[in-house]
Amino acid sequence: MREIIIGELTQAFQQMARDIAHYLPRLIVMLIIALIGWVIAYLLKLLVRSLLRLTKFSKLSENAGAAQLLHQAALPSSTELVSRFVFWISWAGFVLLGVSVLGIAGLQEYISRFFFFLPRLFVAFVILFFGLVAASFFSRAALLTAVNANLRSSRMLSVAVRFIVIIFALSMTFEVLGVAEQTMLIAFATMFGSAMLGLAIAFGLGGQDLARKFLERKLAPQHKEEREDELSPL
Amino acid sequence: MSLTHESGWYKHAVIYQVHVRTFVDSNGDGIGDFTGLAQRLDYLQELGINAIWLMPFFPSPLRDDGYDIADYRTVHPSYGTLEDFKSFLSIAHERGIRVIIEMVLNHTSDQHPWFQESRSSRDNPRRDWYVWSDTDAKYRGTRIIFLDTEMSNWAWDPISKSYYWHRFFGHQPDLNYDNPAVQEEMWQVMKFWLELGIDGFRLDAVPYLIEREGTNCENLPETHVIIRDLRKRIDEQFPGVMLLAEANQWPADLRPYFGNGDEFHMAFHFPLMPRMFMGVRLEDRKPITEILQQTPAIPESCQWCLFLRNHDELTLEMVTDIERDYMYDIYARDKAMRLNLGIRRRLAPLLDNDRRRIELMNGMLMSLPGTPIIYYGDEIGMGDNIYLGDRNGVRTPMQWNGGWNGGFSNADPERLYSPPILNPVYGYQAVNVLSQKRTQHSLLSWMQHIIAIRRSNPVFGAGSIEFLYPANHRILAYVRQLGKETILVVNNLSSAAQAVELDLRRYKGNILIEMFGRNIFPRIGDLPYLLTLGPYQFFWFRLRRI
Amino acid sequence: MAEENLLTDEFLRQLINIGEVDIVVGLSTHNHAKTIGPVIAAIQAGILQCFPRERVAIINADGGSQDGTTELVTSATIDDLGRGSKVYALRTLHSISVRYGRTPDPCIAMQTILAAADLLRARVCALISPDSTTIEPDWLQRLARPAYIDNFDLVCPVYQRQRFEGALVRNLLYPMTRSIYGSRIREPYATEFAISGRLATEILNNGFMNQEWVRMGPEISATVFALTGKYRVCQSFLGARPPSSRSAHDMVAAMRRTVGALFASLDGNFPFWSAINGSQSVPTVGARIDVPEETTRINRKRLLDMFSSGVAQLEPVLSSILSTSLHSELRRIAALDVDDFEYSEELWTRTVLEFAASYHKSTINRDHILQALVPLYRGRSLMFVIENRDGSEEDVERREESLCADFERLKPYLLEIWADRK
Repeated sequence: MREIIIGELTQAFQQMARDIAHYLPRLIVMLIIALIGWVIAYLLKLLVRSLLRLTKFSKLSENAGAAQLLHQAALPSSTELVSRFVFWISWAGFVLLGVSVLGIAGLQEYISRFFFFLPRLFVAFVILFFGLVAASFFSRAALLTAVNANLRSSRMLSVAVRFIVIIFALSMTFEVLGVAEQTMLIAFATMFGSAMLGLAIAFGLGGQDLARKFLERKLAPQHKEEREDELSPL
Repeated sequence: MSLTHESGWYKHAVIYQVHVRTFVDSNGDGIGDFTGLAQRLDYLQELGINAIWLMPFFPSPLRDDGYDIADYRTVHPSYGTLEDFKSFLSIAHERGIRVIIEMVLNHTSDQHPWFQESRSSRDNPRRDWYVWSDTDAKYRGTRIIFLDTEMSNWAWDPISKSYYWHRFFGHQPDLNYDNPAVQEEMWQVMKFWLELGIDGFRLDAVPYLIEREGTNCENLPETHVIIRDLRKRIDEQFPGVMLLAEANQWPADLRPYFGNGDEFHMAFHFPLMPRMFMGVRLEDRKPITEILQQTPAIPESCQWCLFLRNHDELTLEMVTDIERDYMYDIYARDKAMRLNLGIRRRLAPLLDNDRRRIELMNGMLMSLPGTPIIYYGDEIGMGDNIYLGDRNGVRTPMQWNGGWNGGFSNADPERLYSPPILNPVYGYQAVNVLSQKRTQHSLLSWMQHIIAIRRSNPVFGAGSIEFLYPANHRILAYVRQLGKETILVVNNLSSAAQAVELDLRRYKGNILIEMFGRNIFPRIGDLPYLLTLGPYQFFWFRLRRI
Repeated sequence: MAEENLLTDEFLRQLINIGEVDIVVGLSTHNHAKTIGPVIAAIQAGILQCFPRERVAIINADGGSQDGTTELVTSATIDDLGRGSKVYALRTLHSISVRYGRTPDPCIAMQTILAAADLLRARVCALISPDSTTIEPDWLQRLARPAYIDNFDLVCPVYQRQRFEGALVRNLLYPMTRSIYGSRIREPYATEFAISGRLATEILNNGFMNQEWVRMGPEISATVFALTGKYRVCQSFLGARPPSSRSAHDMVAAMRRTVGALFASLDGNFPFWSAINGSQSVPTVGARIDVPEETTRINRKRLLDMFSSGVAQLEPVLSSILSTSLHSELRRIAALDVDDFEYSEELWTRTVLEFAASYHKSTINRDHILQALVPLYRGRSLMFVIENRDGSEEDVERREESLCADFERLKPYLLEIWADRK
């Protein structure tokens, strides 16, 4: 009996040794890939950082209002954030590549899904970023237009515009990521449609006098008394 | 011998205006004469003209270059005898050249026996042959024609102690046409010359025959009565003889002188002439087309007379003040060139001796509706002498060759009636008939050519005119038509090359044949006809449908 | 290439028919049927009275009028076809119109007119505004003659203005152009001016009009081009300034077209203007024409409201443009009553210069920078009204001169903030 146990143990250890011998090279390869990946990711990070500095990306994000948000969240600057993000994504990619070398069944599928997901993540990031830029731009434009048109609720209008554009950008982001696509789409459509309907009703019923006066001012000649209040600039 | 008097011959005439005094001196007295003129009729025949208009050759004190006549029935002795004239007339007719003479109806010289008698006494039978008044208050408001020399239309006669009326110089008293005797006598004068065989009269100063209080004493109805009477007599007794009116008036005011074809046959189109000069200088056809638009239609048997220059100053009476100022500034910057609301210069100096402009102006002269008159010497581009006083600068001796007195006379140069032109540009050594005859491309040769084309195409003399108004205002274009003959004339009034698109759709299908070189141009289609012209270039195209 | 696109075949044909001219009179229009009639009549009368012998052509660049504007312009033609037969003219007068596009574009309009003047070899090109209802026939002579006879390259107008008229010109455009470019041009942005054929050709030939900043404000750009190119510039007295078109009351549009173009011009012309100190007078020709003073009611409270509200609501925007100290100073004066209101010349000058520097650095979108200046301009125009309400004409002149001196004195400050040295 002792010989059987020893024999089985010996066999088991031999099997384990064989398994280890079988997987060890792959493990080593995985580690090498991870190491090389780290180096490449680091170089990519440096490259991206230089590129972003060259294209004054920080200014763009400042305009977008992203810089202020990051500062408030005690996060590093947008240039640094993006370059670090590129580093981690790249290295993660290499690590996963190394893991795939191990040949662990079932893991392959998740790894390939990750790689398929990466472009969509990138696109989502871009959409969100430029959505923020657009929100900042349009809200400022709305603010300036409203102020110069002497509208009372200029700030509110500006915030509303920013809100709408951000919501729009977010819904597009989620759609690209494939996260609760239908829900986001319906929610956005509902919100947008009801906002427009509300505005239409407000203008149509509540603002008919205002609308009439607006049209009269645009289409009919301006009265002399009104002209006299204005200082001729040129 | 007289030429066959075909009716309407004057429409197809090319008239050469000359003063016998200026042309050729045959007897060495320094003054041109009829014998000399007769000797040069071959030259005129070769030039191609078929009518001569002779300036006054009557006995005269010559204080107005012969327009102050002292005897209506003979020839000034300086120019020869009446026999010489008859001989000249005969030779001219042999060469197919008609002769038109001046007849100054309005006034005579104060040396004329009629005036001498009239002024001698208030009771003299001829007293009433002139217009007398005890005061100079009558006919106020009548304009003075010779502004530079006359202060009034009345002159005081110390002999008869009264004023006599003169529309021109003070030594040219006006005849009184309210007197039937005057009318009859002037008819007899005309008849005298008609019986010799002359072919036409240029009646000088016709608008001024009659005076009436409260009017401007010009173009009065009674004048037309007189003219009609003269015309009737001529038609009855001397058919085919032509009457040419000298009346410096607006076209609308000239129209009555044609009557219903029962007054003058022809009249000078005075207002057109300065506008041709203006158009070329402005590089704009507007002055030309506008005056022709204002020109009324005339009876079928009548004709306008066109000219570029003549023995008088280039008159600027029939232009606006702005136009006159412009003409003075452009053409007579030197005030010595100006005389009596006009410019006393010849054609070539006016056009800066620019051969292209001279050709262009002659081209328009030959192609616009009317009978062209060439002033002697302009066919070779003679110059002028503005320092000779009055209008004598444009009446210098004809330049025949580069030799003694330019071939005009064998007399001593100091004896000539007028010094010839001597400067290196226009002097007789540079500009003369002989040297131009030896050159194929001289101005003289060119003039012969264009006259020949003109004469061989009756459409120029008798055809209708329709102006085209291309958008390029520098182009003066018109179509002349007579029966089936159609000629397109395109003139570039600009000193620069021009492109023009002509609307010739009415003539679609016709081929254009350029009349000087006889080359064919593209057929007229639906599209605007594009032509390009060099500076001051003109085209005459015959339209042919083949 | 742009020039070839400007000239349609039909327009070219019309230019061929006109041929060489001495003077081109250019009009840029878009639905100006209400005002163009008297303008074109005055131009025609001016040509016949003052230039009867010269070859003149009227060129109208139209941006797609639907109200018969172009027909009114071409009716000024005088020719032998009977057009213009009620007036006497020595020579043909062409008045042609070309549609350069379906929508109005002042830059393309000016380019079209200059291209036509260049092709026609005009010695002078006079541009007239189709809104100039105060125009007199002798305006054409006043503008064109200095260029035509005395060989000036640019002739700017001098208008006899009403007391409160032209606040933007008097408080910003004139003083700033004067201090930057060193020439005392009273009306650097003018809708009537004349340029020589030589200058027109230069403007066309070196691609100047294709630049973005030139497209914003072609009129002021032409002035800047002449000033920086050492061309001979003069001014000529006209008369009362024509009333502004409806778009001029749109302050933002006016700001873009004038101040925007001026600010944008600073970038490319830095080597020129940075070396200039002070300013020189420009020859002024003609006699001043007095115009009767009209009373104007100005709502000062409204101006103050617009200023205060602007400062308050645009705080995040202004903080991106202005320095902290200046921004806080503006907040302080925005809180003042209308009777205590004070927007000093120096403060205004610094405001403008900081805006110019921010525009150069594009701290935010450039158009937004211009829009943000509008409420501040309202504040300054309120001060302009308060200062000049009771004074004489000489007082007004004196204050204007003082403001110009401030601009010139503070030019080094602009240079510092321009290079971020501050």
